[in-house]
Formats: sequence, C-alpha cells, structure tokens
Amino acid sequence: MNNKTLIIAGLVFAIIIGVLAVFFASGDPDGLESTALVIKGEKTLFGPLSVNPGVTEGANGGFSYSAPLPDYSMGEKFGHLGQIVAMLAGIIIAFVLVIGVSKVVRKISEKRKPN
Amino acid sequence: MHIPDAFIPLNQAIIYWIIALIFVALAIRWARKELSDEKIPLVAVLAAGIFAIQAFNIPVSLGTSGHLVGGALAAIVLGSPFAAVFILTMVLIVQGVFFGDGGITTMGVNIINMGVIGGFVGFYSFKGLMAATKNLPVSGFTAAWFACFIPSLACAFEMYFAGTFPLVPGLITMGVYHAAIGIIEGVITVVVLYLLISVRPDIVAYKRRVNG
Repeated sequence: MNNKTLIIAGLVFAIIIGVLAVFFASGDPDGLESTALVIKGEKTLFGPLSVNPGVTEGANGGFSYSAPLPDYSMGEKFGHLGQIVAMLAGIIIAFVLVIGVSKVVRKISEKRKPN
Repeated sequence: MHIPDAFIPLNQAIIYWIIALIFVALAIRWARKELSDEKIPLVAVLAAGIFAIQAFNIPVSLGTSGHLVGGALAAIVLGSPFAAVFILTMVLIVQGVFFGDGGITTMGVNIINMGVIGGFVGFYSFKGLMAATKNLPVSGFTAAWFACFIPSLACAFEMYFAGTFPLVPGLITMGVYHAAIGIIEGVITVVVLYLLISVRPDIVAYKRRVNG
C-alpha cells in the first residue's frame, strides 16, 4: 500500500469511526468525571449514577471558555447531523493542523540550516 | 481523563503549562528531525485517527465509559515518546479549542498526563517488554494499559493538589476506573498496531528496527 492510499484509507477509517461514535459512543461519564461524581457522593464506585449530575463548579476562579462545537455537536437543533459535521470537522482540523505545524517547523529549521 | 478548566486553580494550571511547554518544545525538535515530507501526512492521519477513536467512548460497566488515549500507540508506531507528546498536543488543542473537551488552562496538565506520561510510560514499557518477551500483543497491550493507568494516578495527585479530590479516595477511584479503561487502550493499541503492520510494516518503528 503506497503512502497516498494509506493516507486515504486512514482518513476513511477515522471518518467511519467518528460517525459510528456519534451513534454508538457511550454517554456514561468517563473515568475522571465518574471519580468526581463518586467524590461528591453522586455515584458509587461500582454502580451507576444515583442522581443526575449538575455542572461541576470548581476551583478555577471563573475562567471559562465556550468552545464553538461543545460536546462534539452543533447543539440540539442540528441533532445527529450536527454531531457528524462536528466530528468530520474535528478529524479534518486535526489532520490539517499536524500538516501545517510540521511544515512550519520544517521550514524554520531549513532556514536555520541551509544544507 | 481530560481535565476541565474548573478542576484546577489557575496558578497551578500555569505551572503545568510551563512544564508541558518544555516537553512540547522537545517534541517539536523531534518533529523537525524526524518528519520528512513523506512522513508528515502519515503522522497527520495517525493524529486524525486518534482524534476519531478518542471520541468513541466505550462503556466499561461500573457506570463509566472510557476511550483510547493513544499515547502508547503513537510512541510505539513512531518510535519515540516525543511522537506521543507531539500528536497528543495537537489532538488536545483541537479537542479543547473546538469541542470544549478538556480545558484551556488545563491543556498543559492534560498534555503532561496523556502525552508526556502516557507517551513515556507506553514507549519504555513496550521497549522493555518486547526485549523480555518478544511478544507483540502482550507487550503492546501491557504497555498501553500502563500508559492509561499511570497517567490516571498522576491525575489523581493533581486533583489532590488542586483540592478537587481527596488523595486516597481519588487514587482508588481513578485507579479502578482506569484499570478498566486501560483494557480498551490495550486492545485498540494492539489492533491498530497489527493493522498497520499488515499493510505497511516499514512505517511501524519497532518493525523497522527488527527488519534492519
């Protein structure tokens, strides 16, 4: 498999996984969130949630940032379609970001060392 | 394991950022040396794949779910723990900036946990286990499991310093959940390694070394 095929296959694989994630990924809290819930007494170590968790307010003294596509979605209005678009955007942004940063890094180093 | 902004006070978050930036600088040095024009899109596609797999939370029972982090995978495939720092930093930037998954002030600590600790633990435990057992699935699975489990304990300490979790319950709870989530990390890491080796053994660092 040549590089080009591998890159296309890899992106297709990423997109398939990403789209499947929209429909099949678990909504259960992750390990850190679960720990936070256990510490707050809203979940037992081995059990499900006992109450509906609220938004965690914590130590950071008010710093807040609103991401454009929170929770990998475009909001309730766009539903699954919005989630798929968000996921595709993320995959493409990750791909382009790595290429962009790598090229910039290489360019800078080539300027420093002309050989 | 993505720590949100609210979980760590700003002054501590800044200290983690500074430590993270040192490793990010070393990772950029790695990228400058290792990434040829040919290799750049391959690394990019690995990052895109890790991003997608990270979004796929799999239930681990215990009322909890987890997903691949990919530090061990990136380090093993590319043959350097700094590859993991490089890729995980990029993935965490995309997740934090665009999707609110992991904070901005806490991006530094997330880079340390998943990229630096995950990458180094994954890489060196894989190297050691391969030397000792010569068995790819056992080494890959175990290395990836540790690359999930050890950062979760680091995270529990950070949560303790932040005043967010008490120490012992934090360690036990994070440890139990990530011992389970680590199984996902191990299985996916080995599956992806086998997939890559089956199509392109020449790009998998450890294979390349074995074959000369």
